[in-house]
Amino acid sequence: MDWWVWPIALFAVTFAMGIVAVLAGVGGGVLFVPIVSAFFPFHLDFVRAAGLLLALTGALSAAPALLRSGLASLRLAMPLALVGSITSIVGALVGLALPTDALQIALGVAILAIALLMWRSPAQSSEAPPGDALGTALRMNGVYHDAALGRDVEWRVRRTPAAFVAFAAIGLLAGMFGLGAGWANVPAFNLLMGAPLKLAVGSSGLLLSVVDTSAAWIYLNRGAVLPIIVAPSIIGVMLGAKVGARLLRKARPELVRRVVIALLLISGARALLKGLGI
Amino acid sequence: MNDEQQVYARWLAWGTHIALAVLIASFLAYALALRDPHLPPQELAKLWAFPVDHYIAASGAPTGWGWLQLLHKSDYLIFLAVAMLGLLTVLCYARIIPVLLAQGERWRAVIAVLQVLVLLGAALY
Repeated sequence: MDWWVWPIALFAVTFAMGIVAVLAGVGGGVLFVPIVSAFFPFHLDFVRAAGLLLALTGALSAAPALLRSGLASLRLAMPLALVGSITSIVGALVGLALPTDALQIALGVAILAIALLMWRSPAQSSEAPPGDALGTALRMNGVYHDAALGRDVEWRVRRTPAAFVAFAAIGLLAGMFGLGAGWANVPAFNLLMGAPLKLAVGSSGLLLSVVDTSAAWIYLNRGAVLPIIVAPSIIGVMLGAKVGARLLRKARPELVRRVVIALLLISGARALLKGLGI
Repeated sequence: MNDEQQVYARWLAWGTHIALAVLIASFLAYALALRDPHLPPQELAKLWAFPVDHYIAASGAPTGWGWLQLLHKSDYLIFLAVAMLGLLTVLCYARIIPVLLAQGERWRAVIAVLQVLVLLGAALY
């Protein structure tokens, strides 16, 4: 097949991915790496680097509005992002050192686990927990205005030491597989730490922008960034996300969510089989 | 909204807009062949299925910050936008350090300093 078919196909696929990602409420990175590595000829090293940059760009673009509205909190994200960014560097270095087959198998297992996590869709935590000592010392608390409720919501966090461990693991996976980490950040903020769901979703992107930045530098410095993959993907996803945001009112979220889970299962299984040489 | 959050949001918004504009402009220059690339796409297509180490050895592509010397090539002009995206968070964190200190939030200022060091460490690794 001629070389120019691939960047055009990549633009088309990432455009569709951008639409689906918005409708399903997931980041583009978690779809990009498994799908592109499964169905495009690019090596996983280049796909992971592009996946990180894709997730990073989306997170950076969304963060200013979320910060201004108070739905993303620097107080909440800063201490955890520091830990996550250190482990994401380790993850990127490990990922670049592992043999491709081993990495494909690990990616397949990780994607299938994420699909399972999304399918189970744990109930959200709605209780306002008492703040723990470490969270209070780090001033991880605040107030945001919930327009839907029409009132200010006060928030604090619990289980902060456990959260540091969780975000260290999330950073490691993000760096290793180039997946972004929104799929894990939100449950960690909401279910583990007890942060309100809206704040968890908003702060997830902010944290992701820091964690993915450090891992992206490792890939960039190793020469794993190919402009012919990165540029059409970023532009495709950003344009697709704009269309997705317009379709959001008419879409049936549960149907889209099932499509995403099916895509993850197919591409996760394909990554696993590729790694096993089947 | 806290002062540091407002400052962070403002710098990030401007920086992201500029970086994305550079990304689109540089990709158009590459796609429309307005400048010669370091590695023609048809040659790149022969290497993109291999691991990064093989690609570097076969193409002579630079590692680290070596791409700065190839900014006159259309494929490496795009790296300018990528590097801008990678430096935005460093810039925003560095900008809020004096704001946090002025508010008396010394621990959070320390966290911001450490974060800048980690990101710079990754950028210079």
